[in-house]
Amino acid sequence: MEKIGYEQRRMEMKLLIPAAAYLAAGAMAIYLWVLKEPRIIFAGAVVPALAFMLVSLIWQFRGFRGDPFLLPVTALLSYTSLIFLYRLQPAYAYRQFVWLMVGLLMLLLTTRLLTNYRVLAEYKYLIAASGVVILLLPIFFGVEMGGAKSWLDFKLFSLQPSEFVKILVVIFLASFMAENRLALTRGSGTVLGMSLPGPQVWGPLLGMWGIALLLLVFQRDLGTALIYFSTSLAMIYIATARLAYVGFGTAFFLAGAWVAGKMFQHVAARFTIWLDPWSYITGKGYQIAQSLFAISAGGVTGAGLGDGYPKFIPAVHTDFIFSAITEELGLMGGVGIILLYLFFIYRGFRIAISARDDFSALLAGGLTALMGLQSFIIIAGVIKMLPLTGVTLPFVSYGGSSLVANFIILGMLMNISNEAFANEK
Amino acid sequence: MKNNLRRLGYFFISIFLAQMIYLGYINIYMGPALATDPHNRRLAAAEAGIRRGTIYDRNGRILAGDVEEEGIKKRVYPYKDATAQLIGFVSQRYGRTGLESLYDTYLLAMDDGGSVDKVIKHLLNRPVYGYDVYLTLDADLQKKAVSLLGGRRGAVVAIDPATGAILVLASTPGYDPNKIDQVVGKNTEKYELNGKQSERQVDITYFDHIAKDTENSPLLDRASFGAYPPGSTFKLITAAGILSQDAGAVKDIYNCTGSITVDGFVLKDNKVHGQVDFNDALAQSCNSAFAHYGLILGEEGIRLSSRSFGFVTGAQKDFESEPESVKYDRFKEERLKYIRYRPGMLPEGHLTETEIASTAIGQGRILVSPMQMALVVAGIANKGAVMTPYLLTGVKTAKGAVKERNSPALLHTAMTPAIAAQITTAMQEAVTRGTASAASLAGIPVAGKTGSAQNPGGETHAWFVGFAPAQNPRIAVAVIVENSGAGGREAAPVARAIMAGYLQGR
Repeated sequence: MEKIGYEQRRMEMKLLIPAAAYLAAGAMAIYLWVLKEPRIIFAGAVVPALAFMLVSLIWQFRGFRGDPFLLPVTALLSYTSLIFLYRLQPAYAYRQFVWLMVGLLMLLLTTRLLTNYRVLAEYKYLIAASGVVILLLPIFFGVEMGGAKSWLDFKLFSLQPSEFVKILVVIFLASFMAENRLALTRGSGTVLGMSLPGPQVWGPLLGMWGIALLLLVFQRDLGTALIYFSTSLAMIYIATARLAYVGFGTAFFLAGAWVAGKMFQHVAARFTIWLDPWSYITGKGYQIAQSLFAISAGGVTGAGLGDGYPKFIPAVHTDFIFSAITEELGLMGGVGIILLYLFFIYRGFRIAISARDDFSALLAGGLTALMGLQSFIIIAGVIKMLPLTGVTLPFVSYGGSSLVANFIILGMLMNISNEAFANEK
Repeated sequence: MKNNLRRLGYFFISIFLAQMIYLGYINIYMGPALATDPHNRRLAAAEAGIRRGTIYDRNGRILAGDVEEEGIKKRVYPYKDATAQLIGFVSQRYGRTGLESLYDTYLLAMDDGGSVDKVIKHLLNRPVYGYDVYLTLDADLQKKAVSLLGGRRGAVVAIDPATGAILVLASTPGYDPNKIDQVVGKNTEKYELNGKQSERQVDITYFDHIAKDTENSPLLDRASFGAYPPGSTFKLITAAGILSQDAGAVKDIYNCTGSITVDGFVLKDNKVHGQVDFNDALAQSCNSAFAHYGLILGEEGIRLSSRSFGFVTGAQKDFESEPESVKYDRFKEERLKYIRYRPGMLPEGHLTETEIASTAIGQGRILVSPMQMALVVAGIANKGAVMTPYLLTGVKTAKGAVKERNSPALLHTAMTPAIAAQITTAMQEAVTRGTASAASLAGIPVAGKTGSAQNPGGETHAWFVGFAPAQNPRIAVAVIVENSGAGGREAAPVARAIMAGYLQGR
């Protein structure tokens, strides 16, 4: 009899090999046109490729049955990140390389220690409380970076707690909603023929609204607030299928955003710039205008790696890395990245659908929605489809906290699929 | 719950699809406009590593091209001031203007094929060439037009009426685009440093010099963007209006007594024309008869006829603003293929009887560009069909592969062929026995109309619009000479020489 999980892991390895070839091609291009440091580039390409394969091998050895497609997709995104950071600013690439190793380690730890992730549901209130505490830390001890005061400075490196708290939030909501699902769906009474949401809905919804506002007011982090809130709406929808709750929540959030716009100059500015960046092109609209110039400069096939001018965009290595990719790899590269996220989300929802219980389905669905919303919101921001909110592009933008947190999310999804697929066979 | 998850999945698929479509919209649809936006620093960056394409006229003469002098790349404009406003210039300091700016995507080979090619050339360490741009312009005719205007402020537009191809688009006075960055003098500037008054010498460049010349505004492209009262040339539009309303009006006799009184206001005529029919009235440019036609047409009739020639209705501020500020859609790719010009403009709001009468003879609050008037006569010449004016014939790579090719397109139909024929006959009479006799050519029948537009600046602006040969026309011309006097005396001879030059090679 074949070993458990052998099929999945064999497929995974099959996909990791072309992914490694992709990284090799990128590294070769970097060596030829950007950076003549063969040893560094060689190490920077070979080590990550081997590390991803090692993760797969360890899983195979342990008989892990998790989804075979998520790791290769993540590898492609991480490789793209390394290639573009080498191309944009090698110093960032070195740090991202280290964070990638930390991320893979966290992925292994998550799949090892949290294989039985269901225990998390038991501690939901403890998780919620610690989430709030961690979120509050930067308000007292934090430093401000790029207009958002959401960082903790540890000298050697800095962390953005909100990146990790988002996982805790999804765990809490999944557990809470799984427990109160029936009450939530039925509602607790009717007014004029419409069933009213009871305190079971009000509670977490208000809590999320509060946390989002907290982020907005004290940390000036509009993007993270938006992601927290839209993720909780997605989870309410998964649990209840009631669009009224979603509509109600959206209205609530818009009201909050409107008030924030009135109170804070920088929130209002984002909307003005979104509506017409051209009038502010020498000032506030400079960044988004440069991003649009970069995207359009790529054409369909792109300027070629190293042959564009993505550095004209300020902060291109974090929020605007998608614009750099589209400039140099063209519309095809940009669409390719979006398709990778779409595939990640597809697998995520597949896992949620085949999950055995409500908690697992809600957890997988919530984490997937989180990933999808975050990538959608930042890409939409840099192409001026929506107002720009500074969040990272998962696995691709430079940033340790975000990268490590996303690997933990990947680990959770792998754990859920490990059980769900065991159930299928 | 499985269904909820599935529906949420569909939701994600649709928003990501929308995102990909939007990305394509930015990348492809808005691409050309964004690529040549003056704020896009990629242009200057791309410029350094590329040999900019050449701009040619219809006979293969170079209008703008890169030459190397002692290893230094330089952009040269052989026709100097004759094509200055049209071709524009490229300057590190003052950016880019005219066609040099408009056709940047071509001249720097910024499309997809171009960028692939650039990567390959880059690898092989070979020089990169931009695409060459071919125009409909006749550079020698353009030069002739400029010398005929002889330093006076004015403009000449010539079009092939059958296609809309622009032959001449001249504006005077011009400037020499080759000299744009040259230092022509010094200026002493006072400044304060640490509380101490100090002075320093600042360079005055040729550009500073011409930009300051507000009297002649050499940077202004008068031919496309000048805003002038049309004077009697507007009678062509009134004529088209009255004939489309009442074909019998041709036969009607009007008795001109030397003036016409409308609502107590007296509109004076240049002389007593006596008994005139339609052809006489147009040939003699009889104000009374045309004011009379205008009153028959009414405000709606005049607006309708103007609109059919492409006129627009403008607010008061449009009349007062600088001509350059005419808005255009920055993201229309069409602007690469066709040219931008200031359309004729009628005032908003209700016109009084007096205003109707004076508008009908071109003296109301109407503003036209020479290009607009050239299109009016081109429309009459082409049996009522106004062709879209264009300059771009095609774009080729340095190796001769065709990248872009332009073809004539109908802009709008202004009148029926019968009306066009009737107006042509009257315009021919204006040349044989009327106000436009100075435009007559030996052996070639010419159709024309003069205008002497009153304006606040002193002497009247001299206008001539016309085409030749009257049957089967090959060239339509509009000429304006600012503040020079009567159109029949000042503008008609210029037009005559242009038509002769084009048709007879003289």
